[in-house]
Amino acid sequence: MKTFVSEVKNIFTDAAVVLTIIGGVILYSFLYPQPYAKQSISALSVSVVDYDKSDVSRSVIFKLNATAQIDITRQDLSEQDAKDALVKGEIKAIIVIPRAFKKDLALNKSPTIAVGADSSYFLIYGGVLEASMKSILTQSATIKVAKLLKKQVPFSQAKESYVPYSLNVINLFNKNNSYTQYVVPAVFILILQQTMLIGLGILGGGMNEKIRRREKGYFTDVPLWEIYLSRILIFFMIFFVHMLFYFGYSFSHFEVTRLANIGDLLTFGMAFICASIAFGLFLGSLFSSREIATPVVLFSSLPLVFAAGFVWPLEALPQSIHSLALLVPSTSGIKGFLGLNQMGADFSMVIESYAILWVQSIVYLGLAYTLFSRKRKKSIQNK
Amino acid sequence: MIAALNKAFLYELRSIKSSWYKLALITVLPLFSFFLIIAIFRSGVAHDLPIVVVDNDKSELSRRVLSSIESSSTMQISAMVTNTKEAMGFVKSAQAYAVIVIPNHFAQDTLLQKHPHITAMINTQYILVGKILTSALSSTVMQNAAQVEYVKNLVEIQNPKATVDAISPIGIQITPFFNTYKNYFYFLVSALLPAMWQIFIVIATLVSVGTMFKGKKEKQFFQNEKYIGMKLLGLMLPYTIAFMLLGIGYLFYIYSAWAFQGSFIILVLGMFLTVVAYQVIALLLFVTGFDYARSLSLGAVYTAPAFAFLGITFPVYNMNGFALFWRDILPISHYMQLQLSQANYGANVFLELDKLGVLLLFWMGFIPVIFLFKKRLHKSFKKELA
Repeated sequence: MKTFVSEVKNIFTDAAVVLTIIGGVILYSFLYPQPYAKQSISALSVSVVDYDKSDVSRSVIFKLNATAQIDITRQDLSEQDAKDALVKGEIKAIIVIPRAFKKDLALNKSPTIAVGADSSYFLIYGGVLEASMKSILTQSATIKVAKLLKKQVPFSQAKESYVPYSLNVINLFNKNNSYTQYVVPAVFILILQQTMLIGLGILGGGMNEKIRRREKGYFTDVPLWEIYLSRILIFFMIFFVHMLFYFGYSFSHFEVTRLANIGDLLTFGMAFICASIAFGLFLGSLFSSREIATPVVLFSSLPLVFAAGFVWPLEALPQSIHSLALLVPSTSGIKGFLGLNQMGADFSMVIESYAILWVQSIVYLGLAYTLFSRKRKKSIQNK
Repeated sequence: MIAALNKAFLYELRSIKSSWYKLALITVLPLFSFFLIIAIFRSGVAHDLPIVVVDNDKSELSRRVLSSIESSSTMQISAMVTNTKEAMGFVKSAQAYAVIVIPNHFAQDTLLQKHPHITAMINTQYILVGKILTSALSSTVMQNAAQVEYVKNLVEIQNPKATVDAISPIGIQITPFFNTYKNYFYFLVSALLPAMWQIFIVIATLVSVGTMFKGKKEKQFFQNEKYIGMKLLGLMLPYTIAFMLLGIGYLFYIYSAWAFQGSFIILVLGMFLTVVAYQVIALLLFVTGFDYARSLSLGAVYTAPAFAFLGITFPVYNMNGFALFWRDILPISHYMQLQLSQANYGANVFLELDKLGVLLLFWMGFIPVIFLFKKRLHKSFKKELA
């Protein structure tokens, strides 16, 4: 009990630790989702270069403008003018309707509409492409139906037979392609882990520093298991509350889906917290000073996000990088949490990730204990 | 004055040489993190994405549709199952990204011109994968249907060219401007490397001043209260040079493979303004309390989320007021705009002056930094006299 009290004092009087495991966790939960607060992409400014200027080309333009993604804000006389506007950032895409568009259409010569978009930004590019493809294909189909009608085919049959068969796409989960839904659930799990690692890393590095300087204190006198048990309990309690805050308040605030049942979520969450604590104790036993933890964790964040398999598919990731990422709890954590909460998986479907987290908990705790007790013994013997 | 700068510069160089940690922060660690990012995106395009098929028809035609899906490099059929529920299990457990359902009597309905639908249920939780699969499946099925129609029409019209025109009355030609490669490697790596780079600039600067104050070597370094600004510049200079070299290094790496349209000199100038801007900000974070560990925590909050605010993955014009404000106080977002507009558009130099000007504004932070360092050092030196 005395050890527990000393640990509480040790943790809560350390400004850098408190700033990270309390302040950081809350601050990040507001900061990270900010760019995506509006969730999906609104209409893009597009310029049209209409070389045909017929009633047919105007109807094509009108229908393009009617799509949700495209907002025609300019008409240019030449492609060069439109391109200049693009470089200045006034528009994001250009649509060009060729000369004699109406005539070629009447002659069955299949004229071509050119669509160009700024592909430096992939969401912009994808949005313009999707909208213009859809709009132009629909108009193409309308023309075909009209032609069939001319051939005295009854309307009901003409409507059905303009293509032999087609694809009906249904979006599963995150149905309206919300960016918040895509990024927030996964990044929040990483934030929980990273803040925990920084906190435990500062504490572990700090102990190593003091031991090296031959300082005396409860961390040299009491049995090591008492220190570790107290530290694990304190971190578990703090991060259990954080987890409830994230999955409860934050997710509902940012309108992120919560499909998992609470029992599954907490069972999996406990494994994740335990694995992260064990990993943090392990890193802490390695660090030689207080200040190493923050940079190391910071440098690993971006690679960990992109190696986790939710932004960039695992199939495109080199196997060695993925294996390396699997050593860190967040990789299995993200996979399991996304399955349970975002995709409504049964617990049996995430059992592999769950098992990995418990194995990590045991292995990292064992490593941390051995490493640190060896360091401590050495310094006491040297005295 | 210049002598003070020179002396500080040499002092810090010696200190870097004797500290493996400081040396690693400007060499091995950033290079290794660049290597990781590059390795992650090396393939550039997504391929062999697993999908599950429920074929309720099992006809010649359904097999033809499936084999055209299988032959696309983007996806591969990883399992054939008998019902949708079983197929959904694969998606929920992340073993597959989509389910294709071919309806009963698919071949028969096609023949009877009843226009049947093939259903694709795509996991759009992973937006990027969802988009790639949606467009790959749509175009594969469309092409496949067009082939069927072509054969049918050819029998009626007996003229190959006219048959093609009859299938698609309006053609679409799609041109990607700038990133003409449609490759995610270029698109993501060219922004992720700068995002990693700025983290290292802030951390290396904080480690340099932080270890000095933690080890109580500040009096040894500053010696007296004169020319504090100059000495700080000398302290920063080795890192400015190191990060310019790293920055120019990644530019060469990226743009030796991809076209660079604009002026390299303007971009390097912008890079220099950015490095110093970040060093000034790191010092500002440090002078809030001259506490090493705490300033690192602040540095983490400031630099870690930067990538999301760059507007590369999610467009800037859809961000809200706070996000735009946060984006504005990050030098890297101004630098990134410069990099994109020079590399991709080759924009006129005069159009870039505002970005360079904003970067220069961050340098103003150096004034309070000098002031607070003076105050702090005054106290240290006075203590010694007393």
